[in-house]
Amino acid sequence: MHMERPERFDVLPPAPLWSNPIVLDDFEFLTVDPSADPALQAEIRALLAKCGLDYEDGIDVFVICRPQGRLIACVGLEGNIVKCAAIEPDCRGESLSLKLLGEVVHLAVERGHSHLFLYTAPENQTFFRGCGFYPLVEVPNYVSLMENTPVGIRSYCNKLKTERKEGATIGAIVMNANPFTWGHQYLVAEAAKACDWLHVFVVAEDASRISYRDRYRLVELGIRGIDRVTLHHGSQYMVSRATFPAYFFKEKGMVGHCCTAVDLLLFRNFIAPALGVTHRYVGTEPFCPTTRKYNEDMKYWLQAAETGTPRVTVIEIPRTAVMGSPVSASEVRRLLDARDFDRIEALVPPATLELLYEKYRTVCFPPA
Amino acid sequence: MKIVKEALAGTLESSDLMVKVAPASDGTLDIVINSEVIRQFGAQIEKVVRDTLGKLDVTEGLVVIEDKGALDCAICARLQTAVLRGAECQDLDWSVLS
Repeated sequence: MHMERPERFDVLPPAPLWSNPIVLDDFEFLTVDPSADPALQAEIRALLAKCGLDYEDGIDVFVICRPQGRLIACVGLEGNIVKCAAIEPDCRGESLSLKLLGEVVHLAVERGHSHLFLYTAPENQTFFRGCGFYPLVEVPNYVSLMENTPVGIRSYCNKLKTERKEGATIGAIVMNANPFTWGHQYLVAEAAKACDWLHVFVVAEDASRISYRDRYRLVELGIRGIDRVTLHHGSQYMVSRATFPAYFFKEKGMVGHCCTAVDLLLFRNFIAPALGVTHRYVGTEPFCPTTRKYNEDMKYWLQAAETGTPRVTVIEIPRTAVMGSPVSASEVRRLLDARDFDRIEALVPPATLELLYEKYRTVCFPPA
Repeated sequence: MKIVKEALAGTLESSDLMVKVAPASDGTLDIVINSEVIRQFGAQIEKVVRDTLGKLDVTEGLVVIEDKGALDCAICARLQTAVLRGAECQDLDWSVLS
């Protein structure tokens, strides 16, 4: 999955209907998993292609409408993200799309996801606004991210505001810490020295090798003793599957043209103002191309771009090195694949080493 | 009645409404109404919503209404359904709702 063409997420706005051979009054919606049914998958693929969208493999379930055996509408759900919504061009104008979106929202709640996100082209925002989705951020001429609640980001920011600290230099770091290394510890210590207060967020998405619970605990232990730091749980609004899908697929060789702008604009427009963040700190990235691209894009979207919200200065701190080579979590994961705990020992604090040894000593990793 | 989980009722179709309820994050009652006819009937919709919640004795939670021009009786019915689902209510005195 990559986000080169965000328009494939959208439904085209309903167009006037001049001739319609299908009676749309009583049609039913079915919930299907096309991964188990190649013929159905081909049908969905064809409908999406007709609407200029691509079929995506990661989708858990589709809602389809197929009166008289002809597929006329589909919408996919991947976790809490609505995707691949399409309506047969001759069937538009009958508010089929409202029914379709309503069906998928009900299905998502049944599956335990009441908070949904959706990507669409900026010009379709108004249409989805009528389906109960509210705009979060817009990357002009490119893509908009919407959520299905009018209070989601607002109540999240209100919660953050209670953690606000006053000061001229308020720093923030967002880390996945997969796993926490001496490099993370060095970054936090250096940033804390330069700031009146530092907010550290741990990416909450459980899509990494090390579980969120373990990552958070290791960060907590690892930054103990550094003053003027608040550790925060990550959220849906920050390097999550919803805001930055490509990040979690970097090890699957699908970096491509990932879309970092949505995630960075959420930080710039909502999170930074809520906490009064003036500086965002990040380590230089010698290894991982996705993270390197994210760092470069950060300078544009947080600092250079005109968005009507205060600029956040991006400070890149050179990575700390152990025996001449920079410390990186991706290097630790490579060593973990090889069970090379002797070399890991030099790169991570004792708590991380202990956890890795306990949990992964005997685990077999599938080939990457 | 206390809303203990997120729940949904209704559709986005014309003359209907979709109601979402969720447990309160801070002990308050937060009602958000989004309607195609908010200018003409916004105050009336809010009155129906507050009356219905009052009869159900809902004093806290988040209630989001996406209204597509529903009649008062539809608003009342959809809201009752959403609250009963969200409160996981099994035994109900229906007479108080009439």
